[in-house]
Amino acid sequence: MPTIRGVVTIAQESRFQLTDGEGVSHLFVLSPHMLAEGDDLEGLQREQARIRVTYEAARNILGYLAQRIERI
Amino acid sequence: MDTIVHMHPRAAEYPQSDLDRVIPDESELTAGVRIEPGKSYGFFTDTTVCIGCKACEVACKEWNTLPADNLGLTGQSFDNTGALSANTWRHVSFVEKSGAEGVRGTAQQPFQSGWLMMSDVCKHCHHAPCMEACPTGALFKTEFDTVVVQQDICNGCGYCVPACPFGVVEVSTLDGKAHKCTLCYDRLKGGLEPACAKSCPTDSIQFGELSDLQERAALRVEELHARGVPSAYLYGTPGAPGATGGMSHLNAFFLLIDRPEVYNLPSAPSRPSRRVAPSLFSGLAAVAGLTLAAALLFSDAERRP
Ligand code: SF4
Ligand code: SF4
Repeated sequence: MPTIRGVVTIAQESRFQLTDGEGVSHLFVLSPHMLAEGDDLEGLQREQARIRVTYEAARNILGYLAQRIERI
Repeated sequence: MDTIVHMHPRAAEYPQSDLDRVIPDESELTAGVRIEPGKSYGFFTDTTVCIGCKACEVACKEWNTLPADNLGLTGQSFDNTGALSANTWRHVSFVEKSGAEGVRGTAQQPFQSGWLMMSDVCKHCHHAPCMEACPTGALFKTEFDTVVVQQDICNGCGYCVPACPFGVVEVSTLDGKAHKCTLCYDRLKGGLEPACAKSCPTDSIQFGELSDLQERAALRVEELHARGVPSAYLYGTPGAPGATGGMSHLNAFFLLIDRPEVYNLPSAPSRPSRRVAPSLFSGLAAVAGLTLAAALLFSDAERRP
């Protein structure tokens, strides 16, 4: 599965925006199979922590399904 | 400084374009209302002034980080979101009515009587059927009298979906949870007007205290009647269409100028919970009737030589 690194710039419920090193923002939705909850995203956004997201494409939306989040 | 008409006196305290912080009680400046817990808030959507710009759809997606969905063209006029969904919490519908027998009309009546546009949203029902159906308590009434799904409690059972008489709430195929408009719960807590109402350039969407909005809407209907639009009426205020079947009233209500069905709204929505007792008793009566009939048949058969 592809991965991407960046900082969580917006967190809303189980959705978040990740801004990568080039300043490009990408939209993710937390997969129901992953351990993180919406509340964890808020903390990551507040800390501006650098993270790596493992994701897969989602059908019929402009966004991705986040399968795994790790601090780096 | 000259007095600017329609400007809230507090607006003069913030003359700069770039602000380094959120204005306290900003909704007072943008919507003329201070947001306080314990009061009832809602939307009044006046469809006669909607220009179909979709600023509300975009503002909602931006604020709530909702992904664009239904990619492609629907073929339904300028509508490209199609319907309210787990990812689309404001939907602007376009109803083309002008012309007949496939020929587009060349003249337009005033007040959009030929081309109807309406920004649809969750109605934040007073007696919310979605909430009544939710077995986990994930759907709840906030301190602002609005209806919100708590994401960490929703188990994705989907009971709320058929319970909603307006087809609003949807379980997302991405995260398996129910999603719908929160009436910008997070913004209300921060003293901000909901994103859609703030972005609407014609004030087709008005946010405020429900009693104020209902008064304002009644005056607007009178005004439209006086200006030659006798078809104007409210949908979702107490006693009006949309507030039927035990619904009491809708916190997000509409001013319409055609039948509700034309806007894809039910003409007489009702609470499914009111059908539970009659269904249960009719089911029990059917079982009792069948048992009685079977008993009669068997006793009759036994009596025969
Ligand atoms: S419109 Fe539907 S989703 Fe919204 S509060 Fe009413 S029943 Fe619930
Ligand atoms: S922002 Fe206002 S005018 Fe534009 S589509 Fe939405 S309701 Fe209509």
